[in-house]
Amino acid sequence: LKTGLLLVTLLVSHMLLTKEGVTSMPICPNGSVNCQLTLEELFDRAVKLATYIHFLSSEIFNEFEERYAQGRGFIAKAVNSCHTASLTTPEDKEQAQQIHHEDLLNLILGVLRSWNDPLVHLASEVQRIKEAPETILWKAVEIEEQNKRLLEGMEKIVGRVQSGEVENEIYTPWDGLPSLQLADEDSRLFAFYNLLHCLRRDSHKIDNYLKVLKCRLIHDNNC
Amino acid sequence: MKQRFISSAQIILQLALTTVGLTGQTYPGKPKIIRCRSLEKETFSCWWKPGSDGGLPNNYTLFYSKDSEEKIYECPDYLTSGPNSCYFDKNHTNPWTTYIITVMARNEIGSNSSDPQHVDITSIVQPDAPVNLSLETNTSANMSYLWAKWSPPPLADASSNLLVYHYELRLKPEEKEEWETVSVGMQTHYEVTSLQAGVKYVVQVRCILDLGEWSEWSSERSIQIPKERLPPEKPTIIKCRSPEKETFTCWWKPASDGGLLTNHTLLYSKEGEEKVYECPDYKTAGPNSCYFDKKHTSFWTIYNITVRATNEMGSNVSDPHYVDVTYIVQPDPPVNITLELKKSIKRKPYLVLTWSPPPLADVRSGWLTLEYELRLKPEEGEEWETIFVGQQTQCKMFSLNPGKRYIVQIHCKPDHHGLWSEWSPEMYIEIPTDFRVKDMVVWIIVGVLSSLICLIMSWIMIMKGYRMMAFILPPVPGPKIKGIDTHLLETGKSEELLSALGCHGFPPTSDCEELLIEYLEVEDSEDQQLMPSHDTPSKNTKIIHKETDSDSGRGSCDSPSLLPVKSREPRGLPSTLQTQDVRAKEKKGGKGSWETQCSASEQKMLPCNSESIKSCTWLAAQLPGNQAAMFAYHSTVEAFRITLNTTNVNPSPVLVGNEENRQSLYPIAETVYDDVEKISEMEYSKTDQTTVQVRQNQQNDKSPFLNPKLMDYVEVHKVRQDEEPTLLLKHKENSGKTKKSTIPGTSKEYTKVSTVVDHHILVLLPDQRTQNTPVSQEPVAETSQNPQDSQAEKSTGYSTTAPSDSRGDTSGSDYMDPSSFMPSFK
Repeated sequence: LKTGLLLVTLLVSHMLLTKEGVTSMPICPNGSVNCQLTLEELFDRAVKLATYIHFLSSEIFNEFEERYAQGRGFIAKAVNSCHTASLTTPEDKEQAQQIHHEDLLNLILGVLRSWNDPLVHLASEVQRIKEAPETILWKAVEIEEQNKRLLEGMEKIVGRVQSGEVENEIYTPWDGLPSLQLADEDSRLFAFYNLLHCLRRDSHKIDNYLKVLKCRLIHDNNC
Repeated sequence: MKQRFISSAQIILQLALTTVGLTGQTYPGKPKIIRCRSLEKETFSCWWKPGSDGGLPNNYTLFYSKDSEEKIYECPDYLTSGPNSCYFDKNHTNPWTTYIITVMARNEIGSNSSDPQHVDITSIVQPDAPVNLSLETNTSANMSYLWAKWSPPPLADASSNLLVYHYELRLKPEEKEEWETVSVGMQTHYEVTSLQAGVKYVVQVRCILDLGEWSEWSSERSIQIPKERLPPEKPTIIKCRSPEKETFTCWWKPASDGGLLTNHTLLYSKEGEEKVYECPDYKTAGPNSCYFDKKHTSFWTIYNITVRATNEMGSNVSDPHYVDVTYIVQPDPPVNITLELKKSIKRKPYLVLTWSPPPLADVRSGWLTLEYELRLKPEEGEEWETIFVGQQTQCKMFSLNPGKRYIVQIHCKPDHHGLWSEWSPEMYIEIPTDFRVKDMVVWIIVGVLSSLICLIMSWIMIMKGYRMMAFILPPVPGPKIKGIDTHLLETGKSEELLSALGCHGFPPTSDCEELLIEYLEVEDSEDQQLMPSHDTPSKNTKIIHKETDSDSGRGSCDSPSLLPVKSREPRGLPSTLQTQDVRAKEKKGGKGSWETQCSASEQKMLPCNSESIKSCTWLAAQLPGNQAAMFAYHSTVEAFRITLNTTNVNPSPVLVGNEENRQSLYPIAETVYDDVEKISEMEYSKTDQTTVQVRQNQQNDKSPFLNPKLMDYVEVHKVRQDEEPTLLLKHKENSGKTKKSTIPGTSKEYTKVSTVVDHHILVLLPDQRTQNTPVSQEPVAETSQNPQDSQAEKSTGYSTTAPSDSRGDTSGSDYMDPSSFMPSFK
């Protein structure tokens, strides 16, 4: 029942977001040719999407942990094993405030790109987990899709904000696919656990960075 | 020899005693030597207990002799060892001698001696208890032990220091009874091991010389043995919390410290770093905590935190605590909460709550986003109502109960993760009642006023009602119909009535009754529809009565001028009103009408003339002014009768319908002059059949004519010979009124409806002769069935029939309600 409610909630929010996407067609005030969304609108949508993705990531992680990770001490093993760890991202408020917004945007892009691949595999491999509940399967797919959407939106924002030339695409490759396919169940489950844990962390980072950027760029640090 | 001496002394004493006994005073009682004791083998003392003093001061003397010689000595020192004692110093003490000791008490009368005591020094040696017992505990190698020291008993004679004592020590836990005794030897200290940690022990010592007895136990000394000394137990990390997502603090709970001073050290390592750091700040957040300032706080990083407790005995480390600061943010409660009561346009109060994020939280930068939840309840309420308000910092509350005091609290939480803050302090707000009360007062006043107005209005109506009503709605005289004998009805013999009305014989009575019942039913429905005043006949009656009296009373049903008086129902159809009138008449002055009926019925069976005249006369008498009209009416009836008798033709459904529902006449009817007679004959000769058909129609309510709602009727106003005949259609409106009145009396009256053609043409006959009886037949039948109600109905039916003319002015008549024919066909 609980998951059912959750599902409904997700569906509704998804619909809302989808709707958001539909209405995101540029609304040209005077029929001007070059009308486009304001940066504020872009950020609003990006933040919403990032929030949504993080919401999904948290839920899927919690569900997985509750179902498969109880008493296995995965958390202790999960230390320092996120594939995006090599991207040096701000770790506290000061760092987040000091980093140049273009750099931060590029970092966000980098993190998002780094997740493209693993999310695709997650969505497919998660189906093989024994008795994986529908909610987990569904969310894995949803996160993958929404991550792409967010990446598009972020590229748009970066294109708008970036003054100089666009940096080379930074991202960190993921080589965790074999671990998701391990024969040993415990190891495999840990691989999933770790991936979901990292996903939750990175999606929260992105959400948090976007909020900081929005307040900085749109509201002049006075949200 | 010595014994001899003693016995002789005794004899003397006894003699003396005898003497004393005579005087009341006596020689002393026999003293008793209690004990002799040597503390150190070199001296000794003896103590005695005096006997009775014989009432006189006594002197005590101790004598001793040695077993080796005959000589008797007296005590060398009575003082040193206290009263009643004798101290033998070194010089008088010989360990190798047995002393024989006697104590003699003497007073004026005589003397008495104790039993002799043999004293061997070696057997009476008992030292004093050791003194200066002191205890100490000590701990070494995780073992507690007890260190006891004491001094040998002090001696009066310092020269005897060479004495050797043996000691014994006993101890027990304070709360226990049994002692544990330890032989110490000649030392004056002892170490006790294998003690219970944390227990208080009691210790005593005593001593003994190489001969003799043990001394008393020394006075008690007690000491607390300290608890065990252990390494500390494992501390527990209780929680870590970041109040503003910038710093965080961890708290731990120390476990047992092992009875020793214990230090706690917090160690942590961060994800991705091998290095282990120690807590940067133990003080800021209080005891047993570690504060990580901004520099030491990273997010999206797992901290592996442990706490190590250390004392002399060792150390112990807590379980590791894994913390990602991102997930442990718990802000402080919101501040600056204000409650403000505002009024909406509708004057309903609503509550506006505003608040600020906790001062520590920097929500402006976007680093931390807070969400709020508030709860409130009436002060006396049990359950909180909780409202999640998202990121807003204000909230409006509607629909609060006035007159109640509410408690409001707010707390906040970071988005996504973290914990709800504590609830803010309780805020109180009282929702005033006056808003609602004002409204209430207004409404009450309005209500009272309006009801007052209603009362006044109705009072006025009652006072002036009749006049007003008469003014507004001219009275409708109730129709008075001749031909029914009300006496007969009242006397209640239905059979007579029936027979009188001609129901007997033809058709069989039963049929007749049935028919009548059915008829009655129909009429009933009509009644309900048309006579809303049914339930309150009396009122109408009054009114009507008046009117009828003043007016012709025979009033035709339809004449608009007769239009009622007024019924409660504004839409009251003319017919309705008429009906009411009739009824009223019946009830009040009913006699007349019944009479009329009666006569009419009679006329049906018999040659009608005489009867009709009678009834006419009666009517005439009653209402002199209308005679002519009455006659006209009668003649009409007669005409019917004649026709009835003559032929039998199939009844026209139209007619039937007309009887019951006048609407069928609705369509305009054209008057046909020429063939009136013929047609009328043809039409009216159908009687029997018609009756049957009527009945049937009534039985199945499906008949189109039976729809009471469609009640309209035709009024034929004066039809002049020389003019084109006109039939005025009377609807419910009174439109015809004016026309009628304008037409002069010269016109000829067509009181007889000869027939209806094509369902919408009324053929009227200008005939005046005969009276038609049938009218009464039906009503009578009804009466037999249902005397009370049927009266009304009957008369209704009747009135519709009879009404012909009734107007005071001769011009009246003119209209023949087709329904009047119906009875005639029976």
